[in-house]
Amino acid sequence: MTTAQDTSASATDTAPIATNQKKHRPTSQLEKMQRRWGWIFISPWIIGFLGFTLIPMVASFIFSFLKFTINHPEDIRFIGLQNYQNLLTDPLVGVSLGVTFKFALLSLPLAIILPVALAALLNNKYLRGKRFFRTLFYMPYIVPIVSAVYVWSGVLNTETGWLNRFLELFGIQGPDWLNSVVWIYPALVIIGLWGLGNSYLITLASMQGVPTELYEAATVDGANMWQRFRKITLPMISPVIFYNLILAVIGLLRYFEIPFILKEGTGQPGNATMFYNIHFYKTAFVFLDMGYGSTLAWLLFIITMIFTVLLFYTARYWVYYASGDVF
Amino acid sequence: MAAIANKSSNAATAPFFARQLQKFGAASLVTLFASILLAAYLSPFAYMAVTSIKDKDQIVASATGSILPVEPVYFEYEGKQVELLKVPMEDGTVKELAIIEKGRRASTFVDPNDPNLTPIELEVRWRALEPVTRFAPKLGNFEEAWNLANFPRLITNTIIIAVTGLIGTVISSVCVAYAFARFPIPGKRLLFLLLISTIVLPRQVMLVPTYAFFNAIGWTGTWLPLIVPHFFSNAYNVFLLRQYFLQLPKELDEAAMIDGAGPFRILVSIIVPQSWPVIIAVALFHLVFAWNDYFEPLIYTLGKPEIQPIAVGIQVFNFKYDQQPHLIQATALMGMVVPIALFFLAQRFFMRGVVITGVDK
Amino acid sequence: MLKKYMRIALVSLLLIVVLGALPAFAQDEPVTITWFVGIGTGGAPEQREMQEAVVQRFNESHDDIQIELIIVENNVAVETLGTLIATGEAPDIVGPAGFAGAWAFAGSWLPLDDLIEETGYDLSQFPESAVEIHRTSEGLLGLPLANFPAFLYYRPGLFDEAGLEYPPAHYGDPYILDGEEVEWDVYTLREVGMRLTVDANGFDATEEEFDPENIIQWGFANQWAGPMRQNYTLFGAASVYEDNGDGTYTAVFPENWREGVQWFYNGIWEDHFIPNAAQVGSDLLGAGNAFASGNLAMAQSHLWYTCCLPDSDWDAAALPSYNGQTTARIHADTFRIMNTTEYPREAFEVLTYLTGEASLDLLSVYGGMPARPDDQDAFIATLDEKYPQGVNWDVVIESLAFTDVPHHEEWLPNNNKANDRLDAFQSLLESTPGLDLDAEIATLVSDLQAIFDEYSAGQSDE
Repeated sequence: MTTAQDTSASATDTAPIATNQKKHRPTSQLEKMQRRWGWIFISPWIIGFLGFTLIPMVASFIFSFLKFTINHPEDIRFIGLQNYQNLLTDPLVGVSLGVTFKFALLSLPLAIILPVALAALLNNKYLRGKRFFRTLFYMPYIVPIVSAVYVWSGVLNTETGWLNRFLELFGIQGPDWLNSVVWIYPALVIIGLWGLGNSYLITLASMQGVPTELYEAATVDGANMWQRFRKITLPMISPVIFYNLILAVIGLLRYFEIPFILKEGTGQPGNATMFYNIHFYKTAFVFLDMGYGSTLAWLLFIITMIFTVLLFYTARYWVYYASGDVF
Repeated sequence: MAAIANKSSNAATAPFFARQLQKFGAASLVTLFASILLAAYLSPFAYMAVTSIKDKDQIVASATGSILPVEPVYFEYEGKQVELLKVPMEDGTVKELAIIEKGRRASTFVDPNDPNLTPIELEVRWRALEPVTRFAPKLGNFEEAWNLANFPRLITNTIIIAVTGLIGTVISSVCVAYAFARFPIPGKRLLFLLLISTIVLPRQVMLVPTYAFFNAIGWTGTWLPLIVPHFFSNAYNVFLLRQYFLQLPKELDEAAMIDGAGPFRILVSIIVPQSWPVIIAVALFHLVFAWNDYFEPLIYTLGKPEIQPIAVGIQVFNFKYDQQPHLIQATALMGMVVPIALFFLAQRFFMRGVVITGVDK
Repeated sequence: MLKKYMRIALVSLLLIVVLGALPAFAQDEPVTITWFVGIGTGGAPEQREMQEAVVQRFNESHDDIQIELIIVENNVAVETLGTLIATGEAPDIVGPAGFAGAWAFAGSWLPLDDLIEETGYDLSQFPESAVEIHRTSEGLLGLPLANFPAFLYYRPGLFDEAGLEYPPAHYGDPYILDGEEVEWDVYTLREVGMRLTVDANGFDATEEEFDPENIIQWGFANQWAGPMRQNYTLFGAASVYEDNGDGTYTAVFPENWREGVQWFYNGIWEDHFIPNAAQVGSDLLGAGNAFASGNLAMAQSHLWYTCCLPDSDWDAAALPSYNGQTTARIHADTFRIMNTTEYPREAFEVLTYLTGEASLDLLSVYGGMPARPDDQDAFIATLDEKYPQGVNWDVVIESLAFTDVPHHEEWLPNNNKANDRLDAFQSLLESTPGLDLDAEIATLVSDLQAIFDEYSAGQSDE
């Protein structure tokens, strides 16, 4: 961190400018104009938010105070906080949050480390055939999810799956990946690896943005490859690592598609794939209780907001923005 | 990684040819490592690929036999097709015999090379014998998938939906991210948290009101709900672009501003040229998203197969009670050709050097 | 200049309004009836094609009514239908769907009694039992379309190879096991099933050398019997609750099903002749379509399974008895009208078209025995064309005499939650060895009781 700032200071004088700018505020006239431009540039989102997102959001919030059985829209009643009280007595709220956190412990570290490791490998100057490797590592991300889940249930099948047949070559009896309450989590992590394409590509794109002068300066100073990676690359791409972290956390909290297709939305084996969103989905679309379903969704919303705000709070300690801004 | 790094730093002091040799060694090592990793990473993809060239019987047979698409070799005996098996004989040799009557403990065989075709009864459990097979890929799956799913129409629809949405999302997201990264908007943090929060609510909880809304303005049954919202930016993209823009030093902006450039000029000629990799990444994500997005296109194009995109069309093979895995995989592979080709071409923007030359320093 | 643009804008605005309002004024605008397929069968490619053809034929011959066909894949069908209903865009006709699908949307179906009376629709073309099966406390919710009796599918080639006699071709016939007549009951099925279960070395499950880790062929399975209650009808029809008559319900676990659970569980984990969840999901058993893989000797399934059985090396036989009693569960799918429809008369006309004129074409792809006895021969002829080996259809018709009452898809208090809990129990049995079954059943019953109580409490609120 400090090295990156020092190096960048000596190479490009970025950091001083950034701090100077904080100190010497522009005239209020200029600031006014800047604000106006800011509103102009931000307007597409504001309009879209008001037009497409706000109404459904407010509607779903209202649902959470209603008795709303999906196939009886004629019988909608206001029931106050009844749905919120149900949260306290519904054992599956705890179970599903537990399942989600258990899975997060396993998959979150990988979701942060692997994209950086893979991007570093694919950005390595010694790697030959970069285009080829980059395309192929991205490819599984393009596979339609139905097709991918089908592939994985074939590959991970206890009896005939390729993985267990491969392990058998070494005399290892592979586990029942998809039907065991323990092994289903590693299985889901393995399946999730195929979604790496997105985050690795972002990280790779970010690595392209690190000014080459920084590396040159560091090399002159005698830093080796590993030192340059740790002291320059990592801090410089920390905004994108932060992005990956936030999205991984949000993605985990709303994790749905893969366990849903893999287990037909049942939450089995046991309740091992009863992720929070599966519980929500079953409530709303199997038990047809949209009122309580919306309540579950808003609880998730609040939990996720808390995590997001906390992460943004920590960002000031480890995310480095060359422009000098902090969130 | 660390080992390689050390080598390269030593290289600085080594004589020229040794340096070249070391470079070559490092390149081979890194490339080899990447290849092994890639092979492991893509092995399920191989499963997908071989499944797409099997028929259903071959998929079943592959469960215990060869993973390749093979089929048993038959021998015609008294008008019937009978299987050939590799039978170990008493003299220690292995003969390819045709099994004409299967029994649990003993079966009857004939030797295809025997002109009289004398039946031989052998005390062997035929299931323990290896069948004689030959390589027989079913390339016809691709043709069948192509015909059943009306591929050209699906691809055309998907391209139209994906590309218009892509243009919309890239332009709008760049603008919004620029606003978040560079302008002193009051309440910016709160707005930004609001933006992030829109990612959080599960789409299913928004489904009923969103559908009701689009239905009320008459957009259901058209592509509009799949395209228009993207012209108003997308939270994922704005967040990512903002992160990237914040990573860019402000000195160039300020230099341009002193030269009299307005905010729009700065965006177009300073920010965007430095950001091509991430803009291309955003474009690719949208492309892949639009390519594989399933539920929303389904529900907004209900009853209108002529406007459905590929992710919806592919479901014809995924009927719960009669899945056609080989056709699912064949369709999926064909559908992936366009995005992969575009990805490969877009690689140009991820190569160091190309991006930097755009910036006038 | 500006004026000109204003005028153009005004004119186009007016045009849009007029064009938009036009349908409301037009007199001959046909009524559109939407037909939603997805919560039952109907999604396979050849079924899609036939349904489209049937719709096209109707639309070409009618100016006043047009059918719009919506086909949605199963795993999102409930979500899609739910969204359409909740947003007031409910389809008019839904189906084909069985009772399970109908109960999942209980309270959404239009009773047909008035329409039948009004149009003078002739119900006497069906046997009374076929009509009454669709009657609930709300009224008659469907017209008879198809019956899908369950029977035993078996593979003669695998019996030959094992040196076993085929299962009985008629109900009441004995089975010949090792030259002796024995009753064709669930215990005989177990013995035969074990002899038909073979490992990779060719040893069967009754032999000492048998290796349960390497099974390549299984004796018996309930093909596609996901819902828990569908798995135990061999042991007799039963209900998992008692109606106390005061709005409360008591959860029970029928004694005959307790034995069924034991038989089934041992069949998987000790006798090995029934595949477990992982085995059913393996490519060896066609990733779910077990009987069609050729590696399963016997399967209990319904007539609809002919939809998805591509080869001809199979025949039909009698289901085994239990305690001297035979039960062959039945499915009776049909189309239903949603009670939100704006055009009940037109919807009823389409309904009678689908269950009448178009029914034979549809049933040929749905694989359902026509509820109209006069059509049964024609239907069997289409099946014989598809399966030239000469299937014993007589036993399929005989099955109709042993249907399960109470039905295994009967309504449950808090229907969808109760079924979800029952299915979780079934999935546990199929994926977990070493369970204490009595304890699991006790937990199941107490969970069901809580689910029923929740329903009773909700009812008394209103």
